[in-house]
Amino acid sequence: MAAPASTTIGSWESDNVTVGQVEKALSDLRRHEQRAAVRTSVLTLVAVVRTDAEADGARQIIHDLGVRHPSRTLIIVTVDDEPEAANSTDAAVWVHAIEREGRAVCFEEVVLRVRGKARHHLDSIVEPFALPDVPMVVWLPAGLPSPGDPLMRAANRVVVDSRAVAEAGGDVLIRSAALAKRLPVVDLSWMRLEQWRSMLAGLFEGALYRPFLEAVDRVEVCGNRGPRYLLGGWLMRRLNLPPARVELQRADHVSVTIHAVSGGKTGTFTVARLGAEREISSCVNIEDGPQVEQVLRMRHQWPSLALASALTRFGHDESYEEALAGARELRLAEGGE
Amino acid sequence: MSDNPLAEATVERVAPPAVLVVFGASGDLTSRKLMPAVENLALRRLLPPGFSVVGVARTEMDDTSFCEHMQSAVQKAGGGGDEAKHVWDSFAGGGFRYVAGDYADPETFKRLKEVLDELDEQRGTAQNRLIYLATPPDTFPIVVQGLARCGLNRPANDDAFVRIVIEKPFGRDGRSAEKLDAIVHEAFEEPQVYRIDHYLGKETVQNVLALRFANAIFEPIWNRRYVNHVQITVAEQLGVGYRGGFYEKAGALRDIVQNHVMQVLALTLMEPPATFDAGGIRDEKVKALRAVDIMSPEEVAQNVVRAQYRAGWVQGSEVHGYRDEEGVDPHSQTETYVAMRLKVDNWRWAGVPIYVRTGKYLPKRVTEVAMEFNRVPHLPFAMSQAEGLEPDALVLRIQPDEGITLRFGAKVPGQAFRVRSVSMDFFYGAAFLEETPEAYERLLLDALLGDPTLFIRSDEVAQAWRIVDPVLEAFEEGDLPLARYEAGTWGPPEADQLLDRDGRRWRKP
Repeated sequence: MAAPASTTIGSWESDNVTVGQVEKALSDLRRHEQRAAVRTSVLTLVAVVRTDAEADGARQIIHDLGVRHPSRTLIIVTVDDEPEAANSTDAAVWVHAIEREGRAVCFEEVVLRVRGKARHHLDSIVEPFALPDVPMVVWLPAGLPSPGDPLMRAANRVVVDSRAVAEAGGDVLIRSAALAKRLPVVDLSWMRLEQWRSMLAGLFEGALYRPFLEAVDRVEVCGNRGPRYLLGGWLMRRLNLPPARVELQRADHVSVTIHAVSGGKTGTFTVARLGAEREISSCVNIEDGPQVEQVLRMRHQWPSLALASALTRFGHDESYEEALAGARELRLAEGGE
Repeated sequence: MSDNPLAEATVERVAPPAVLVVFGASGDLTSRKLMPAVENLALRRLLPPGFSVVGVARTEMDDTSFCEHMQSAVQKAGGGGDEAKHVWDSFAGGGFRYVAGDYADPETFKRLKEVLDELDEQRGTAQNRLIYLATPPDTFPIVVQGLARCGLNRPANDDAFVRIVIEKPFGRDGRSAEKLDAIVHEAFEEPQVYRIDHYLGKETVQNVLALRFANAIFEPIWNRRYVNHVQITVAEQLGVGYRGGFYEKAGALRDIVQNHVMQVLALTLMEPPATFDAGGIRDEKVKALRAVDIMSPEEVAQNVVRAQYRAGWVQGSEVHGYRDEEGVDPHSQTETYVAMRLKVDNWRWAGVPIYVRTGKYLPKRVTEVAMEFNRVPHLPFAMSQAEGLEPDALVLRIQPDEGITLRFGAKVPGQAFRVRSVSMDFFYGAAFLEETPEAYERLLLDALLGDPTLFIRSDEVAQAWRIVDPVLEAFEEGDLPLARYEAGTWGPPEADQLLDRDGRRWRKP
């Protein structure tokens, strides 16, 4: 999907500023620009990162996102390498416009570098920037919030990426489960697995193969640690299987296979990424019956698309929470935790 | 059948294994609308492995050339690309079949049955069939009877489905619609019949329901106490083009008013449904249509204007008059424009005139519903201070620039107290930047999934004809003079007079 181009129609930056000064700068930029007069924002997005490099990465994603999801975005860089520094904030502000069908859609971007103890009270910094009457979504590109983080009180939803946290060595599943009890959580890693979930569920639409789901012998889930536990947990809970019937194997690419018997015939149902070609296959193989396969290109998984999709989700994701609970059960059955 | 335990409410449902059988496979609708919809559904991973298409038409072709022909037609319609190649490769492996034959020949249906049986065996299509009649309306009875003779009208078992999609027009008038229904119902049960009006597949038409029934602020004022009148406009910027031959037999009343306009009208006027399922919504639509007053011949003369375009200028180009179009009788009396004042006899709308208009070669393409509200009972300032003040209005723009406009009065800045109308525009595209599926894509998937909400039920068709029939009779009897309007204008002066008599005027959309 080609995104429409955006143009920057105003910017401002200053060091050691107050929140009031940043708000005024934003307001001035909008007031003096005709294209910024109309805004149809649907949320305030707050990204919290720890380094300038992470901030640049988040900015790029948000910039791409802006053309798909009009919102005010705040990127907060918590400057952790100066823990004893006095409270201070540097700010940079941009107002962008996208031309779409002859109309300008405006979105705003604010980057705040926060030092000192204020880093632990980000709620007090983001609240003044929150747009009225729209939800505030907090996006943590590479982490999970610490218990009691006051920013979570201001958030209506939190977007995390359990794969990124796992790569950083965090114990993702338990902490994500704890977070999901407090707030609606959207996990980008779980959303990336939607292609497999949707295609697998699709194999059992209609009556033809549905009976096989009542007689599942075992399921095999391959992939990296996070995805295989999440998918394994989801299948275990959805199909009421004991942990022993869920086989998890390490692999570079995700695949799911259900082995089942119905009417005396064995059936194998597989959805698998076919390697580096970015192709995904869904396949049904019934003993003495139809053997059909469909190979399609995988959907693009640009970070901005995943985030844009995450921002359309409201409320608790019951499937994800179920998958987390199942994953935990699988870990316990393996003697983990 | 138990629910699919792997289905998730937030994840789009994939269609069940099935064959799409298209009658009229070599026609324009198939290549321009249906096949692009199939390709897009496949690209969105909403078609299952084994999903197959069988084309049926008179033109001689084999399976391979049908598949290639469809692929190139979709490319021409703007589809295709690298990703789509996978889709067509997967179809080329036996997923696209073609049956050449005359619809009146029983052999055609026998061969079709053989092909369907093969697909069930080879591609696991589970004896599920979605039959699409993309043929001229006069062939509907022949195809339906042909299907019934071969037993292709009934599901093979309790778990399988056979559904038939019928394109508008549903008859030429109430009587012929009833006759067509009787033929269809001899072969198919009503729940198997999916009458398609692609207007209902448009996101913004469905948004009329969202606006009305998801917001507490609009519903209390959505009635005769506050609404002064309603204007529904379906304006087309194009002329009849190459469809002159078809249009001669149809006219604007049959082509647009009986279906698109009546559907938009029903969604605008209906009561809140108790449930948002197919039955709940369609019951309320039928009730709304039933409340529309039927006009006597005298009332038709007073409340309806029909007209035909003559030569003019549209978007900077000089265009022919209707009678000079290809396939059109030089003395044609067919209307290309209709304006009507309708009366609705129920508690909500009694006394609120509903003005509808549609036409070809109007200045711009626009579909909208405008509710104009009553003026305040007393203006507490001098008339000179409110010269620019129009009645408040809420406009639902269905196409293009989908959105909502609210017109209300505001003070003009300055020392003096002056009030004028301002428009607050909400543009859907600015709030939701997601790609929206094309109407046919949405409706095809709904039909495969067995959701008839956005399809038209038999009694809706009957009610729409009940409203249109007396007008049609007056047209055919020649009781209503045919006015002329210049192409590129908003219609004839007679249409302006229709509102002028009530002290109102048409909006300029």
